[in-house]
Amino acid sequence: MTLETVSKKLPLYAEHVALGARMGEFGGWEVPLYYSSVIEEHKAVRAAAGIFDISHMGEILVEGPRALEFLERNLPRRIAPVKLQQAIYTPLLNDRGGMVDDIIVYRVREDRFLIIVNAGNIAKDFEWFCARAPKGAVVTDLSPQYGLFAVQGPEAAAIVSAAFGVFFTQLKRFQYRDFEGGIIARTGYTGEDGFEIMVPLERLKPVWDVLLEVGGRKGLKPVGFGARDTLRLEAAMPLYGHELSDEITPLEAGLEWAIDLTKDEFPGLEVLKAQKAAGIPKKRVGFEMTGRGIPRHECEVRQNGRKVGWVTSGSFIPAHGSFAGRNIGMAFVETAQAETGTEIDVMIRGAAAGARVVSLPFYKRK
Amino acid sequence: MNFPENLRYTRTHEWIALTGNKGKVGVTEYAQKEISDVVFVELARKGHAVAQGKAASVVESVKAAFDIYAPLAGVISDFNQALESNPGLVNQDPYGAGWLFELEVTDPSALNTLMTAAQYAEFIQSGAGH
Repeated sequence: MTLETVSKKLPLYAEHVALGARMGEFGGWEVPLYYSSVIEEHKAVRAAAGIFDISHMGEILVEGPRALEFLERNLPRRIAPVKLQQAIYTPLLNDRGGMVDDIIVYRVREDRFLIIVNAGNIAKDFEWFCARAPKGAVVTDLSPQYGLFAVQGPEAAAIVSAAFGVFFTQLKRFQYRDFEGGIIARTGYTGEDGFEIMVPLERLKPVWDVLLEVGGRKGLKPVGFGARDTLRLEAAMPLYGHELSDEITPLEAGLEWAIDLTKDEFPGLEVLKAQKAAGIPKKRVGFEMTGRGIPRHECEVRQNGRKVGWVTSGSFIPAHGSFAGRNIGMAFVETAQAETGTEIDVMIRGAAAGARVVSLPFYKRK
Repeated sequence: MNFPENLRYTRTHEWIALTGNKGKVGVTEYAQKEISDVVFVELARKGHAVAQGKAASVVESVKAAFDIYAPLAGVISDFNQALESNPGLVNQDPYGAGWLFELEVTDPSALNTLMTAAQYAEFIQSGAGH
């Protein structure tokens, strides 16, 4: 037995190193943090396009004659209306109404669903599905067999069109089509238009090479996990382990739109109905610093010296387009402090720095 | 990488330029590259006494915060106000306009405990600086 933990390497590790990436740890994986700089990469995605290697993410297959019934009884959104070649974002809940994960469910066939899950939650999610699956619904972890890229930005459609055909650019948001033994979906995690491309490991490098070559002519840059985080923060998208956890409900996390409390059954339904009726005690908000300092994960939030919450994500966001550079964050605060315009303090290295609650998202594409 | 001969260096990648008992302090070229884009500097506090090797300032990149340690014991006598509006100076000119603070050094003879440019270059090359 060894206590040593070794970060897993992405399948295209060597390519990232060859592109000059600064590698670092994220969720047990050694990933590119940035290639040129977080700031340059953030701007590239907002102005043109970026490609992200997110092969660390997990893929779980649920199939069989009872697959639909199984998911319908266990997921907080209605799955039956999801058509073939469509996908749906949904929380995965525990019996306390807390978030086990947030996932995307792709309907591959009437009785087959592909589920993309967060890397850090693969084992937990797989166990969650297996523990609840009836006979007639088979759960398989495909994570080691597939890789995933995201191409994001205003030029993403032109790049995917030039690389793989105009066909894929006709996809609407959350639709997908089969591609190279995997799929191309119109989804993303940056607040921009874009695509996520899942292919078997052996197709990963050729697809990456084509996208870099074709995209390079249209301003596509490889983008690391640093800018992936600043982009999703600016778009106010929650990150598991920050805005989402086993102890946070989707109502608190601002994901009420992604649950259906009129369903008959799913884990945590009664808890969530009761919380909805009673009112949530805390709420996810966005804030912008008015004082000096960069808010960081787990900084305390205070008002008049009293703790009212904590920062879940915070960063400097580079200037781009008409936006100036700014220090922003998301936090959970008591519902009384959640109103837009509320003045709060963020505790940074023991000192209070002023901030103001603002409406989310911080950035919305035109 | 450029490590000017007239400066002395710490194992935590600060430099100090001592004139009499006043020493200007900043981070090395190696450090600014490691930190990457500097987007915020928490300025040192004037009049604040710091022990050798204790945090006197903080430099932040988009993703992380880095403590900057006093190369020698002393009292903060000045800080670089320009970094408040332009923290990127630390990247652009780490030995010049990107200086961090000035220290009134308690014991200038302690300078000999710090590395010379040649010693620091060797320290970086050996990989011990990580």
